[in-house]
Amino acid sequence: MRRTSRTIAGVSALVLVLAACGRGEDRAGGETGADIGQGPATGTITVWAMGAEGEKLPALAKEFEDANPGVDVQVTAIPWDAAHNKFTSAITAGQAPDAAMVGSTWMGEFAGMKALDPTPGSIDENAFFEGAQRTTEVDGTSYGIPWYVETRLLFYRKDLAKTAGYETPPADWQGLKNMAKAMQAKAGAKFGIGLQAGGTGSWQTLLPFAWSNGAQLTKDNGGAYNFDSPEMKETLEYYGSFFSEGIADKEAPAQPTTEPDFVSGRVPMFISGPWMMSAVEKLGGPDFKDQYGVVPMPVKKTSSSFVGGSNLVVFKETKNRDTAWKFVNWLAQSQTQVKWYRQSTDLPSVKSAWQDPALSADTKLAAFGEQLDTAQSPPTFTTWEQAITALDTEVEKVARSGADPAGALKAAQSAADSIGTGK
Amino acid sequence: MSSTTTGVVSRRRRGVERAAWLLILPFCLLFLVFTAWPVVQSLFMSFTDTRNRDLRTPFAVEFVGLDNYVQAFADPIFRTAAANTAYFVLVGVPLTLAVALAAAVVLDKGISRFRAFFRLGFYTPVITSIVAVAVVWRFLLQDEYGLVNTVLGWVGIDGPNWLGDPDWSMPALILMAAWRNFGTAMIIFLAGLQAVPASLHEAASIDGAGALQRFRHITLPLLRPTILFVSVTTAIGYLQFFEEPYVMTNGGPLNSTISASMYTYRQFGFGNYGYASAMSYLIFVVIAVVTALQFRLLRERS
Repeated sequence: MRRTSRTIAGVSALVLVLAACGRGEDRAGGETGADIGQGPATGTITVWAMGAEGEKLPALAKEFEDANPGVDVQVTAIPWDAAHNKFTSAITAGQAPDAAMVGSTWMGEFAGMKALDPTPGSIDENAFFEGAQRTTEVDGTSYGIPWYVETRLLFYRKDLAKTAGYETPPADWQGLKNMAKAMQAKAGAKFGIGLQAGGTGSWQTLLPFAWSNGAQLTKDNGGAYNFDSPEMKETLEYYGSFFSEGIADKEAPAQPTTEPDFVSGRVPMFISGPWMMSAVEKLGGPDFKDQYGVVPMPVKKTSSSFVGGSNLVVFKETKNRDTAWKFVNWLAQSQTQVKWYRQSTDLPSVKSAWQDPALSADTKLAAFGEQLDTAQSPPTFTTWEQAITALDTEVEKVARSGADPAGALKAAQSAADSIGTGK
Repeated sequence: MSSTTTGVVSRRRRGVERAAWLLILPFCLLFLVFTAWPVVQSLFMSFTDTRNRDLRTPFAVEFVGLDNYVQAFADPIFRTAAANTAYFVLVGVPLTLAVALAAAVVLDKGISRFRAFFRLGFYTPVITSIVAVAVVWRFLLQDEYGLVNTVLGWVGIDGPNWLGDPDWSMPALILMAAWRNFGTAMIIFLAGLQAVPASLHEAASIDGAGALQRFRHITLPLLRPTILFVSVTTAIGYLQFFEEPYVMTNGGPLNSTISASMYTYRQFGFGNYGYASAMSYLIFVVIAVVTALQFRLLRERS
């Protein structure tokens, strides 16, 4: 008897818990944050930043403190590996910092957790590169600002190109492929170009081609992923042909050896971001700087690329909203961005900063600046990482085992449809 | 016994009981909060559509019954991951056990000098950091310049692209796992071997039994409990196989090395907490079943 009543109590408790389940209704988009208060910044704020930025930010923050007496900016450096977990658990526990550097692909997720404060209208969105600004926008609301940017360009060996009979870099898709072939035939390269043969993150090499071909990654007014468009199919056929024709290595290891291969001439072209400049110059020695060039993506319909980087956000639960936004706004000023470039070599997200001689005098950097005008960013859906992993898997089948591009994209699309946009 | 003494005894016993409860209370609390609660919560999550955005309101989620489990069985990557894990366990566990037993026998009988040195050498991989080991193994297994393929080249074998070829990536990881883990099993086997009475071997050899016969009919039967223990612990470890693909191949190429644990980890990373919890419970059930099977197959027969 007693056991029965206990069971009943247990079951009814469980029913109560389950009955309490269920989601509340969701919001509508298009918010603008309240204005930042006038007057000087005051008080203490904590700011989280990752990797090299976390180490170098305190020196820059010191200048903000000097300009605003009484402000204390406490920067906490977080390793990249641990950052995502640390943010999600801090948000869950209500222990998030006042402001933070956030990877541009995490915006959808954190905004979805309702953790971020919408950007005040007083911060000019048009000051930033459009593709970078887009990474802050989730459902029509902008959360934070782009802090620094990076984009992917074509790196090529000038000296080897000359041996292969090319004085100028390739301008379009056909030109790129011909040049890669010539590198193999005449300049002793093992592979003409280094492309990622699918697997994690290969979308960052594939999508610059897709965007250059005019592909749109969403359809139904941003309501669904769009991986199997004719433009994507054409792109993947082109991308896959590098592998099937033996121009790119289909058995490339998971940890690519891009820098040594580039310096030795084994693989004299690749597509990557600005950090690769210092990496190959360090390996190639003092004269290597003149032996390679960096140019925007070859044209199909246009020349576009992927814009990545990190954003700065202010968390909703901040106790010192005014100062947090003032600090973020200060970091987005043109002069601060140039200063930060000198300290960290992070490329400015603010367009006007690129007129500074520190950036405009360097032809390689100028190529990055040019590409940033047209570079695009992936949609800020909460499920982006998951959906794009499905695409990466299918791209790998095309690159490594010569699967049919149309079928691969259809599979990626159906996976993306079942994953959904997370709304 | 009179009623008063019974009263005293029972009162004293109640006091002892209370003290006992008081003493185990800290453990019970810690256990409930940090072990039992996460287990219950993750079980609960596996029946809901919990995603990372729900973490602040863990009960404001929809109850979806067995949907997550059904989804897992229908998920082609999870099925691939399950098959990979089975491949890894079915080849890896016997291989590890065989190598460990061979090493233990050699250390027990064959090598008398530098025994401690060899024992230490065989055990070192167990205590070395997987991250450092992975870097070295990646060099060893490199296609063109790797040591393994260079050595194979000396004897005229054109070695495969170990980590780049979907047919060879799993064997490469199995070899590495066996190398890394056989030390533990070897130490335990060594202890088991030393417990085999020398008098039995003596008696058998007087009866004319050869070394192989003695090993098969004396050593192995007496080692049965040791083999059971080692195979159960190794199998549990291998069923949760995660680190090797995580640091060596990231599950590739073509998902040929993705394991069930790693795919679960990935789903947690995507924020699909409900789905990932369901998969964790599937792995848990498989481990329980496999362990029960091993106990059944290797138990003492009287």
